[in-house]
Amino acid sequence: MKSKATTVSGGLGKRRVVSALCTAGPALFALGLLAIPVSVVLADGKDGTFPSAEQVGGEVFIKPMAVGTKMPTDIEIYDSNAKKADLGSLVAGKRTLVVFFISAVPVSVEQLKKTEVFVDKYGRGANVVFINADTMGTHLMGGPTQAIPSTAATMRLIKKEHNLKRDMYVAPNDVLSPKGVSTRLGIRGLPTSFLLSANGTIEKVFVGPQDWKKGDI
Amino acid sequence: MSISRRQFIQGSLAAGMAGAAGVLGSGSALAARHDPLNEAQADFFKKFDRNVVLLPSKYGGYVQALDLAVPETLAWYNYGLAGVNMPIPHHIAAMPSADPYKGFDFYQTMQPPGTPYVNENSPEWRDRGDFKMFKMRYDGSGKQNHIEVVNDIGVTTGMSLGVHVSIGVGENANKYVAFADGQKDMVLITTIDDNPKIVKAFRADYDPVKRQLHISHIFPDATTGKFDYVGRKGMKTTHEAMLGEELMPADPTAVFVDAFTWHPTLPFGAILIRRLGCCAIVDTRTWEVVALLSTAKGAPDNFPLTRQQGFTWTFSVPSVLTPLHEAGFITSGEYFCACNNVLQNNIAIYRSTDENPLKWKKEAFVEGFGDKYLPLHMGNVPDSRFAYFTMWARKPNNGYICKVDTKTWKVTAKWDTGPDPHTCDCSVDGKYMTTVYSGNQGGQSGLVILNVETDKIEARIAVPGGMHDHVVVPESWEGMKFSRSTSV
Repeated sequence: MKSKATTVSGGLGKRRVVSALCTAGPALFALGLLAIPVSVVLADGKDGTFPSAEQVGGEVFIKPMAVGTKMPTDIEIYDSNAKKADLGSLVAGKRTLVVFFISAVPVSVEQLKKTEVFVDKYGRGANVVFINADTMGTHLMGGPTQAIPSTAATMRLIKKEHNLKRDMYVAPNDVLSPKGVSTRLGIRGLPTSFLLSANGTIEKVFVGPQDWKKGDI
Repeated sequence: MSISRRQFIQGSLAAGMAGAAGVLGSGSALAARHDPLNEAQADFFKKFDRNVVLLPSKYGGYVQALDLAVPETLAWYNYGLAGVNMPIPHHIAAMPSADPYKGFDFYQTMQPPGTPYVNENSPEWRDRGDFKMFKMRYDGSGKQNHIEVVNDIGVTTGMSLGVHVSIGVGENANKYVAFADGQKDMVLITTIDDNPKIVKAFRADYDPVKRQLHISHIFPDATTGKFDYVGRKGMKTTHEAMLGEELMPADPTAVFVDAFTWHPTLPFGAILIRRLGCCAIVDTRTWEVVALLSTAKGAPDNFPLTRQQGFTWTFSVPSVLTPLHEAGFITSGEYFCACNNVLQNNIAIYRSTDENPLKWKKEAFVEGFGDKYLPLHMGNVPDSRFAYFTMWARKPNNGYICKVDTKTWKVTAKWDTGPDPHTCDCSVDGKYMTTVYSGNQGGQSGLVILNVETDKIEARIAVPGGMHDHVVVPESWEGMKFSRSTSV
């Protein structure tokens, strides 16, 4: 619905303003206080709300989960065939490097092969799980879960093009949700890699592409 | 003197056409500008005389020059003709012209389609489109108007940037044009001639571990005189972050540089840095970075410089309370307005008259936008009495345009013009504010003309193609100060 201009005061809630204007509009008009009619209100809806700072960590660059804490394993993930997978079973009982990356960032994708080569050589048998947290840009397409099949297809392509051996997973990530993966884990830069002990405790956190050295994991 | 058969035929045709034009008025097919005399809408639209609006169609791949006073499209150009597969004309700025019907130059940027409106995950999209900056020319001097490419500036300079373009004003008038890009975090300043020269280039990188921002001058290759950032080279992310995606996990160094806006009276410009909620103030006499404004409410007025080494300025950015989108100066230069959004939805107002930008202080905030409407773009009027702002919203909300009194910094009017509203730009006489909405690149789209004095919507013109930006061709360098140069 299109509207005419509405003259408002800054501090009032929108609904209160609209309500007040609908009631007082004619009188205000008569007084010449309103420039134009207020009969049509702004379009609105229940959705489309952005989070408050507090809901997503208080600021843009939040800290990643701390060393010594347990990584949550209830994160929703899908395999490269877009079938639901279980992160808990992928890391259970194994020292694991969980690498969150993003297909939209070239340096992040390039890091995958480097990590695989490094772990094979110096990883002391560590398990590696690659998880793509790249389903942003999908709000206009029905949300992150709608993008899983195409993101899974991209995972298959990356695996092939970069000659990777490990399986790859997709974690649908809503950056505007307090429950989004990136907010829960505190990741803003990718790749971010978490080295977990066999019981799932975070031993190390690596933010950004790494120039891996023997002893890092 | 004899007359050849061919000359005779040509002369007869010309005479016939002149006669026909007399009958038909100047609205004949050979007129370069239609005269709507005696048409029903003629009296209504003639008040918009001398306003030519450039409208790039983001997903239509073309730009059109619209004569508001008829209204009709004077000419249009599809960038596929320039060899771009899936062109996405993004942002635009026009050089001043005393007679825009005769001709004017403008700049157009372009980005690849790996944007949020297309699933960037789809491999088939990876190689479509391109980063481009074109200098363009509209020629209305003949009987067939046309638009042509003057220079492919990315190829000329070796650096292709795809977001905002803004032309220097005030002390920088008739000298420079600036381009920016948030996928590469770069800014390029060139001269405005038809074969532009590189003046200065910047790159911004964040260190999320040390929490420091590095802003560096970058230099072209000494042997070629060009950069090596044509096309996708130098790209940190494969798509431009849409609003809200400043929170997304990205390249750790990514800061999403968005634009360079010019101070109308002092020799300064501002590099707008979305993800860090900061604006780096640059002295355009030396191109040194002289301050880093931190625009969030609750943040200091600026973040401190921790060191300068060679051509790199390093600032401590210990926390970012909110991203921002656009920021710019009002026409007088008295205030600098920054559109904070996502985590804080407000507009920070700095007084920007001091010759030392480190002394620019936040004096007010425009507030009351709630948690659905994000301050996005800014439009100016000649006398600086008001500033207009686009309040963007994601589906299912439309967003709206609001008018802010620059004395009180209160919203005095707002309009739900349509879904996915974008830029605001003033008519050449300062009486009207034009604004576009794109319908999220697929739905309703149009151009709306607001009366600055009465707040009435004067007209709504159908412009298909999801306009993401537009500009009214300014009449003069003074007019450029309220034409998407001081603000974007």
